[in-house]
Amino acid sequence: MGKPILEVNNLRVSFKMYAGEVQAVRGVSFTLDKGEVLAIVGESGCGKSVTAQTIMRLIPSPPSYIKEGSSILFDGKHEISKMSESQMQNIRGNEMGMIFQDPMTSLNPTMTVGAQISEGILKHQKKSKSEAMKRASELLTLVGMSNADERLHQYPHELSGGMRQRVMIALSLACNPKLLIADEPTTALDVTIQAQIIDLLRDIQEKTETSIILITHDLGVVAEMAHKVIVMYAGKVVERGTLEDIFYNPRHPYTWGLLRSVPRLDSDKNAELDSIPGTPPDLYAPPVGCAFAARCPYAMKVCKEIDPEHFHVNDGHSAACWLNHPEAPEVEMPVGIGRGAHG
Amino acid sequence: MLKYVLRRFVYMVITLWVIITATFFLMKLLPGNPFGEAAAKMPPENLAILKAQYGLDKPEWQQYLKYLGNVVKGDLGVSYQFPTRTVVEVIKQSFPASLELGIESLALSVIVGLTLGIIAALRHNKWQDYSSMFIALIGISIPSFVVAPLLSLYVGNKWGILPPGLWEGPENRILPAIALAFGTIAILARMMRASMLEVASLDYIKTAKSKGLATGKIVVSHMLRNAILPIVTILGPIAVNVITGTLVVESVFVIPGLGYQFVSSITTLDYTMITGLTIFYAAILIVVMFLTDIVYGLVDPRIRMSGRR
Repeated sequence: MGKPILEVNNLRVSFKMYAGEVQAVRGVSFTLDKGEVLAIVGESGCGKSVTAQTIMRLIPSPPSYIKEGSSILFDGKHEISKMSESQMQNIRGNEMGMIFQDPMTSLNPTMTVGAQISEGILKHQKKSKSEAMKRASELLTLVGMSNADERLHQYPHELSGGMRQRVMIALSLACNPKLLIADEPTTALDVTIQAQIIDLLRDIQEKTETSIILITHDLGVVAEMAHKVIVMYAGKVVERGTLEDIFYNPRHPYTWGLLRSVPRLDSDKNAELDSIPGTPPDLYAPPVGCAFAARCPYAMKVCKEIDPEHFHVNDGHSAACWLNHPEAPEVEMPVGIGRGAHG
Repeated sequence: MLKYVLRRFVYMVITLWVIITATFFLMKLLPGNPFGEAAAKMPPENLAILKAQYGLDKPEWQQYLKYLGNVVKGDLGVSYQFPTRTVVEVIKQSFPASLELGIESLALSVIVGLTLGIIAALRHNKWQDYSSMFIALIGISIPSFVVAPLLSLYVGNKWGILPPGLWEGPENRILPAIALAFGTIAILARMMRASMLEVASLDYIKTAKSKGLATGKIVVSHMLRNAILPIVTILGPIAVNVITGTLVVESVFVIPGLGYQFVSSITTLDYTMITGLTIFYAAILIVVMFLTDIVYGLVDPRIRMSGRR
């Protein structure tokens, strides 16, 4: 797939609070190749958004800080974790763009759409105001908005949620970034609009060959457009693999749980949807062993004592679960997972 | 926009009418009479003549209608206290000083107050924040009847830097304007700080940051305009309060303003003066609120739109 655009190595991010240190991200590593779509999946509070926003250094510090030994290498030359704020300003919006979750609140209500899109262009490129506006109009057409020239002069409140998310996408693409981070881009939208936005993102990804990090808890969205998937739990990657690996041959009980909690067309309509019992651990004091052990129906003695390393399944597919240890007992994958689970 | 302005104008007239009516009848409920102690010693015939002269012998609804008619014509009646002066004359004579002082102190408080608020918000929980809020705390807790005499006494009298009172040249304006602005600065600084902090936590500020904009640019083009909205709302009533004069500052610095007139009209039960000044005060308040709404529409496109529909 080409050489990596982003290499994250042992990323650890903590928040210093009055009550102590919240270890939101506890050693996340992954690589993203050029033109690839990586999905980060996990439930609320698993650290996926913090990971994404740390890559753009958008989380204010203090209270957050990147711990010693973390590395975020962007485009083979920029060490994001060591950059100053002004160096970051040249990268943000220019080489990396971000799409946020809620388009209702992520656009400035007192500025026209055109002004908001052209702002980034004016900052990073030597263009006049009218050139920037022209580019903004092209971008609006690219994201599928009709009458782009009129739209430029409208305010966000005159647009629907889906339209605003299109504006957000246009805005993030303004300077042809090499990396696009989409933080739950469809969560706040209607289901029908969600599909349109995903289609749009996939289209743009194919046209522009931008690398995308897609943060989501919606496995349907993952299946639609991701090439690679990492599953996060309690600030750690518990399983990584290609889309096929994760959907057809998942090796971590947490991934099983996630897959089972997606509604299926062929399931009994009266049956209750499966859910994973319990709640994620307290990240003020993460457990010693596997963080998922307390909720895991397959937990063994070793799980509560030693945190498992990643076990190699095949090339690019690994899972942090003791069940993959050669000496572990054989466990049947729950019914309904594996072949046919998606689609 | 024109329709919006017209509709607001109709509301303005209705509000003013309600205020005139309420003030008029509330006045009638006050105990005592405008002729003071002299009335007790006066023969009943004389009192009757006096009452007839001022139209007080007629039923109250007739007095009300006559008064309303006069107000429409711009006649607020003759003062009971100074029978040679009309209420309109008193306003014409005293209002300019109050207005000028008010505008000066308002400008001072907006500039200083907003600056303090912005600094405090941008340096949240740092020493700049603490010192700005300390100044604001002083401004709120020390009333003008303490600040005004202190300024007059020390800066005016003892150190002789500025004139301690009177209303003559520009140098006479400085001390009263500061004294009057003191509390307003505090209110504006606190509000602006809270508003800026709120805006800073909103999603679109993160969006602006994700575009790579520098902090200064984000503050100027994304935060200020949104943070100023609640300030515009309270600025209306504050402005009216300040420009219609305050008894304390005007009496300490011996300024011939409207504040003094208002208070003395109440103590002497000068019906026409009280009603007249109340109406005047209300009219200014309503006009300023109206202007505030228009400014609001200019700052916030969402409001402009809802008005258009």
